[in-house]
Amino acid sequence: MQKKMAYSFPDEVLEHVFSFIQSDKDRNAVSAVCKSWYEIERWCRRKVFIGNCYAVSPTMVIKRFPEVRSIELKGKPHFADFNLVPDGWGGYVLPWIVEMAGAYPWLEEIRLKRMVVTDESLELIAKSFKNFKVLVLFSCEGFSTDGLAAIAAGCKNLRELDLRESEVDDMSGHWLTHFPETCTSLVSLNISCLGSDEVSFSALERLVGRCPNLRSLRLNRAVTIDKIANILRHAPQLVDFGTGNYATELRPDVLANLTGAFSSCKKLKSLSGFWDVVPAYLPALYSVCSRLTSLNLSYATIQSPEIIKLVSRCPSLQRLLVLDYIEDSGLEALASSCKDLQELRVFPSDPFGVEPNVSLTEQGLVAVSLGCPKLQSVLYFCRRMTNAALVTIAQNCPNFTRFRLCIIEPKTADYLTLEPLDIGFGAIVEHCKDLRRLSLSGLLTDRVFEYIGTYAKKLEMLSVAFAGNSDLGLHHVLSGCESLRKLEIRDCPFGDKALLANAAKLETMRSLWMSSCTVSFGACKLLGQTVPRLNVEVIDEIEPPGSRPESFPVDKLYIYRSVSGPRFDMPPFVWTMDEERKILHSEFRHLL
Amino acid sequence: MELRLGLALPTPNIIKGFDLDNHKPKETGGLGAWNKPSKRSFEQAFGNFKEECKAKTLLLWSGQPNEEEDHKDQTKTTFSTIDENDAEEVDQVMGWPPIKTWRKKIFRQQHRVGRTEYNRVADEENGGSVYVKVKMEGVAITRKIDIRLYHSYQTLTNSLITIFTKDRKCADDDHTRYTLTYQDKEGDWLIAGDIPWQSFIKNVQRLEIVKKWG
Repeated sequence: MQKKMAYSFPDEVLEHVFSFIQSDKDRNAVSAVCKSWYEIERWCRRKVFIGNCYAVSPTMVIKRFPEVRSIELKGKPHFADFNLVPDGWGGYVLPWIVEMAGAYPWLEEIRLKRMVVTDESLELIAKSFKNFKVLVLFSCEGFSTDGLAAIAAGCKNLRELDLRESEVDDMSGHWLTHFPETCTSLVSLNISCLGSDEVSFSALERLVGRCPNLRSLRLNRAVTIDKIANILRHAPQLVDFGTGNYATELRPDVLANLTGAFSSCKKLKSLSGFWDVVPAYLPALYSVCSRLTSLNLSYATIQSPEIIKLVSRCPSLQRLLVLDYIEDSGLEALASSCKDLQELRVFPSDPFGVEPNVSLTEQGLVAVSLGCPKLQSVLYFCRRMTNAALVTIAQNCPNFTRFRLCIIEPKTADYLTLEPLDIGFGAIVEHCKDLRRLSLSGLLTDRVFEYIGTYAKKLEMLSVAFAGNSDLGLHHVLSGCESLRKLEIRDCPFGDKALLANAAKLETMRSLWMSSCTVSFGACKLLGQTVPRLNVEVIDEIEPPGSRPESFPVDKLYIYRSVSGPRFDMPPFVWTMDEERKILHSEFRHLL
Repeated sequence: MELRLGLALPTPNIIKGFDLDNHKPKETGGLGAWNKPSKRSFEQAFGNFKEECKAKTLLLWSGQPNEEEDHKDQTKTTFSTIDENDAEEVDQVMGWPPIKTWRKKIFRQQHRVGRTEYNRVADEENGGSVYVKVKMEGVAITRKIDIRLYHSYQTLTNSLITIFTKDRKCADDDHTRYTLTYQDKEGDWLIAGDIPWQSFIKNVQRLEIVKKWG
């Protein structure tokens, strides 16, 4: 039994104080002060974020934090988004749901990213948590509309159902009808990822009509433009709206109806959707434009003049997602109209074409960097770049927190000087002292990594492809980037030396992904067996890495820290380098 | 440990049963022309066509699809072991450029609706074919022809007559006169026939058959 010092606060007071501390980092700091604080804190922690679902087991989480109300889990590595992680790799949420069903009857929120979610999991959620309120499935897969029906029917107080970018199997369009007539609690509904026949429109309309607190609604592509007006009239209080299909032959009555509906939405600040846009319908949005802070046109194949017309009416815009149809001219217009812009994402309209199909170059980004002083976050796909442009951009925007540049053709040099883009990216990391996320592209030598290791002290996530000359590049990053949590590398000549020399660093990071590099099987084994609390997994779909000489490079490598040891749900093409567990694993494999 | 995987295409491509003759790994990992045509059966080729385009153009068929068709579907039928997601990546580096799967799906769908910007596509791998879009006034479908199949204006116009005769609506009588126009590299529309044939085929970006006035 702990001795309580005479002058310490009663537990209830401490608990009350702690309830004002929301951030995980601060909570972790609080729990490290002393044993009694650790105890008090763990009983009153309500929110847990687990960045890698394999870093810890459900049992351990439940044991330490018995009263959790909200959990967030992430599964597959980021490169799974680009098909680099084979199907069946893992990231199953069911084991978590099963354990939480027993331990957290009052669980209210589940947020998942890149996880495999089955209908069984969804049914279990609907059955087990009486006060369930929020379900966010971001880039998840493995479930169908049957599972959604269970959620709709079972969660009486559902506030948020957000399926963004998930893959859903369509079983029937009527899952929405499973929301009981008594359900009026919805605040946010995002079904934009659903296919054509997965939504019953009349059920949707009725649902929207009876939820007065609905703030965010994102429809799917199947909802046609003539239906939008009806929906909006049921929910003029919307703050965030995602249209469905925004195309049909121009009919004045539809346009007038739409215009009226939009103008009645006085709180609307965010728009998205816009599949198949017919430009003639864009003026319907004009009444909303002046208040708009976020606009996602990244599915809209409208051309630069139409984009300019829209964007120049949005002086309050903070966030813009758009296709490269905007071109340099559109970005210049953006730069002069939208002085509050903080985030810009420009996606390629024809990523696999050999020739450029639009006039979008480094100039567009330079213009935005000059005109938008608050710009913090950039994702930019283009086909050419120069060091000079990058240096200018860096100087214009020292406040960048996220900078992701994708020059479409790998190893593209500075098109004017034909030199590598080391200096340009070096300028980015040197000037942008708060940079947390960086993605590199173009022709790059070890030099760029030297700059990154020297300057990017706050960098947490780095993505590298087709870059570098030798292990020295990787060594610079691992030894210099103090805040590095996630590193993902593909097709770079990085091998054993840097990895083994910086083995200890790996335990301070969430994860490291390396594919098509030159790390040998032997080095993987060494790491897996000598560094405690590190899971070293080799992915090879062709043959077991052990069937080749140890000096052979592995195809894909995923290393992550974990306090629960190697996982048991690995598919046949994933090998763990932990010797003891491997024996155990092969014994139990037939049970899986 | 001297072996360098370097920039060779990742081996998983091989297990997917690629036809290695059509699939040449490029050292730089660069992007091939995804518009490359694939050979397939006649029925398959025309399966997606609307009413206007019943089987014809037997003279000119070289495996190149017309604009309405989905190039990705072609790739799918040729390499049957590839799943949907990888259809475009036959000639490209796996997972590059880094675009999410669902976004790629949308590109595919958009291109299916005929939004490709290319008027003229040169295909090195097929012996220097140069495909040019051809539109005829009054006809919904824009076609593509390989300009290198012809050696003179006469042969070109003869073929076009053959192709488009069946496309014309019945309302047009045979007395309607047409003019062949083309767009050059500068973007100007000119009447075909003024410059030497060799210059023409280097310059032409697209063709349009318009009704003659008067």
